[in-house]
Amino acid sequence: MLEVKNLTKIYEDGTVALRDVSFQVEDGEFLVIIGLSGSGKSTLLRCINRLVEPTEGEILWDGEDITSADPAQLRKIRRQIGMIFQHFNLVKRLSVTSNVLSGRLGYVNPWSSIIHRFPQRDRETAGKALEKVGIADQAHKRADELSGGQQQRVGIARALMQEPRMILADEPVASLDPVLAHTILGYIERMNQESKIMVLCSLHYLDLVQRYATRVIGLREGRIVYRGTREEIRKMTDEEFKEIYGEEAERISAGRREE
Amino acid sequence: MEPIPEIKIKKKKKRRARPKQGSTPKSIVSAPVAAFLSAIIPGLGQVLATQFSRGLLLMAAFFSSSGLLAWRVYLLAHREPTAMAMFSKALGRRPFFVGLVMGSIFLIWLWNIRDAARQTRPERRGGVGIFVLVVFVFFSLGWQISEINPYKAITDLPQALPPLSRVLWPWKAAFTYRTETVKAHANILIGCEDPLPQQPERGPGEPYLKSDPTCGELSRFDENNNVIKGTVLTIEGGNFEPNSEAQIWWVDSLGNEFRPRQEGQYVSVTTDSEGSFKLELVMPYRLTPPSARGRQIHKVEARQVERVGGPIPAEPLRLTISRMIETIFMGMMATIFGIVLAIPISFLAARNLMSGSFITMGIYYITRTILNIVRSIEPLIWALVAVVWVGLGPFAGIIALTIHSVAALGKLYSEAIENIDRGPIEAIQATGANRIQTIMFAVVPQMISPFVSFSIYRWDINVRMSTVIGLVGGGGIGFILVQYIRLLDYRAAGIAVWFIALTVAILDYVSSEIRSRFV
Repeated sequence: MLEVKNLTKIYEDGTVALRDVSFQVEDGEFLVIIGLSGSGKSTLLRCINRLVEPTEGEILWDGEDITSADPAQLRKIRRQIGMIFQHFNLVKRLSVTSNVLSGRLGYVNPWSSIIHRFPQRDRETAGKALEKVGIADQAHKRADELSGGQQQRVGIARALMQEPRMILADEPVASLDPVLAHTILGYIERMNQESKIMVLCSLHYLDLVQRYATRVIGLREGRIVYRGTREEIRKMTDEEFKEIYGEEAERISAGRREE
Repeated sequence: MEPIPEIKIKKKKKRRARPKQGSTPKSIVSAPVAAFLSAIIPGLGQVLATQFSRGLLLMAAFFSSSGLLAWRVYLLAHREPTAMAMFSKALGRRPFFVGLVMGSIFLIWLWNIRDAARQTRPERRGGVGIFVLVVFVFFSLGWQISEINPYKAITDLPQALPPLSRVLWPWKAAFTYRTETVKAHANILIGCEDPLPQQPERGPGEPYLKSDPTCGELSRFDENNNVIKGTVLTIEGGNFEPNSEAQIWWVDSLGNEFRPRQEGQYVSVTTDSEGSFKLELVMPYRLTPPSARGRQIHKVEARQVERVGGPIPAEPLRLTISRMIETIFMGMMATIFGIVLAIPISFLAARNLMSGSFITMGIYYITRTILNIVRSIEPLIWALVAVVWVGLGPFAGIIALTIHSVAALGKLYSEAIENIDRGPIEAIQATGANRIQTIMFAVVPQMISPFVSFSIYRWDINVRMSTVIGLVGGGGIGFILVQYIRLLDYRAAGIAVWFIALTVAILDYVSSEIRSRFV
C-alpha cells in the first residue's frame, strides 16, 4: 500500500508544483492522475521514486518512508518501482537488449554491469520480456532505429525487468497515436491484473481514463481537486471536467468517437 | 516662426497616408535643391530626400574614392610642386589607371546629381546603377593599390617554370646511387727539364693513363690577356669501363684538382668497347704561387664514376619522411594532450552543469571567455610564443597546437555536454542504478559519438596545422620545407610538398571515414 501524506514540492525558482497532496493507493489498483500540463502530475510521480526531492511530506510504502531513505535504501526501493516515460527515455545509442537489461541495474553487481556484462539468466529474461511486448525480432537493433510504439514497448520491457511491485507511468501514450495507446496501456493493464502490480499513471484523454482507471485523482495547480472511483469517472460531467482542466478547456475526446 | 513646422508636419502626414505602398517618408527638399546640394556635397541631396543610408553611402564612396585616388597620384608624382603638376605627371605615367578612375569618379558625381533629383520623387526611388559604378571605381583602385599585374604573371612564367616543374615533379632528387670511382693518372712535368717524371706503376688489367709527351708548358696569358696555349698532350687510356664516360681532371703540384675546359666544355671522353680512349688535351692555365719553386709535377687524371647497386633514398627524401612522421606524431600528441585537458575544462564550460549557483555561473562565464580568446588566436601565433618559451623544435609546435586544441575541443565538448538528453539519465536512475552505473549507461553512450568525432576532426586539423607551424620554427615538416625553399632547393621542397599533400589527403579520408562510422 502506498500512502502519500501532505506532499509539497517547491522548486528552487519558487514554483509551487505540489501543495499538500495526500492520497492512498491499495495494492493492485490502477490509479490515474489527470490534470493540465503543468498541474504537477509529473512532479508527483517523480517524487514517489525521488527523481525529484519532495520539499515536505511523507511517502509511505508498506510502512517504509521513501522520503527519508538513504541512498542505498533508495536504490533498493527504486528497483522495485518501474517507470515508463512519455518520451520513452531509452538510451538511443545502445541496443534494444542493452536498454532492456538496464532494468536489472539495481540488482546486478555494479562493477560487472558498467562494462555491460549481465548474468545469463538476466539475458534470458530480457529475451522473454521482449517477446511479451512483441518485439523479440528487434532485439539487436539500436534503440533509435525503432518506431515510437516499439520504443515504448522497450520501455515497458525495461520496467518488467525490474520485477516491479509498482509502475509509475508518466503520460505513457501522449506521444503515440490512439490505436497504439490502447496497445501500450493494454500491456500495463495486464501487468496490473496478472501480477497485481500497483500502477500510477498520468493520462490526458478522458476516454482512456474511463477505460483503464480503477480510481482517479485530478490535479490542478498542485492541489488535488478531484477524487473518483471507476464508476464515478464513467459518469463524469463536463462541469467536473472543467473543474480539473480549467474554465476555458473543452472536453478532450479525441479517441471517444471511435467507441 | 512657429506655424511653419506645424504645416510641414501636417503635409507629411497627409502625403504619407496617401501612397500606402511607400513606407519611406516624403522628401524634405525639392528636386532642384537636392540636385544642387548633391553637386556641392555628393549624397547630401539624397540624405535630405530622406534616403539616409543611400546618401551616406554615396557620400562615403565619393570622398573615399577621391581620397584614395589623390593618394595614388601623390605616390606617382610626389616631387611635383603643385597639385595640377602632380596630376598631369601621374596621368602621364599611368594614363589608363588615373584617367579611368578620374573619369569614373566624375561620372559618379554627375550621376549623383541626377540621382538626388530622382530620389525626391517617391515613385522613382531606388536604382542600383550608380552603385555598380562605385564598385567599379573601387575595383580599379584596388587593382592598382594591390599591385595586380597579370602581364607580369604571364611574361615571368617561363622564369618560374623550372622551379615550378621541380616542385611539381621532384622525384629526381628523391633517389641517389652509391658510386665508385675508377681512376688512373699520368705525371706531367712543367718545363721540360730532365729528368722526366716517373710514371705510376700499374698491374696487369688495371686502368692506366699514358701521356705523350710527359712534360710541357701550361697555358698562359700574355700582357694583353691573350691566351698562349700550352703544350698539347696526347692522352691514351685503357682498361676502363667500356662504353662509358670518363672525366679528365687536372691536379696541380699543390694537390688542387679541377676539371680543365676546352672550348668552354669540361673535357670528357667516352671509352670504346674495350675500355680504351685517346684524346688530345691542351695543358690548362694554372697560376702556381711564386713560393712553389723547384720541379713542378702535375697530374692528368681520368676518372670514371659508376653507379653501384640499385637506387637508395636521397637525403631530402629520408629527411622528409622522418619529418613527416614527426609531424603526424606532433599532431597526435597535441590532440591527446588537448583531449585530456579539454575534458575537465569542458565540464566547467557546460551551462547545464554550471547553472547551480552564482559562483559556478561565474566560473562558467570566465571559462567560456578564456576559451573564446584562446581559440581566436591562431596556432601560428601560439607557436611563436612557444618557440620563445621552449626553443625551436617539435615540442614548441606541440605546445602551440595543444593550447589551441584545448580551447577548440573544450568548446565543442561543452556543447556536447549541454546537448545531453536528461531523459535517459532519469530512466536509468529510476531503475535503482547507482551513480557510476548511471554515468556508464546514460551519460557515456550519449557523449561518445560527439567526443570521438570532434577528437578525430581535431587530429586531422592538428596534423594540417603542424605543417604550417614548422614555418615559424615549431618543428615538423614545415621546418625543413621553409629551409629548402630558402636554399632554392626546389626539388627537395617539392618532395616535402608532395608528402604533405599525400598525408593530408589520406588523413582527411581516414578521419571522415571514422567519423561516419561513429555518428
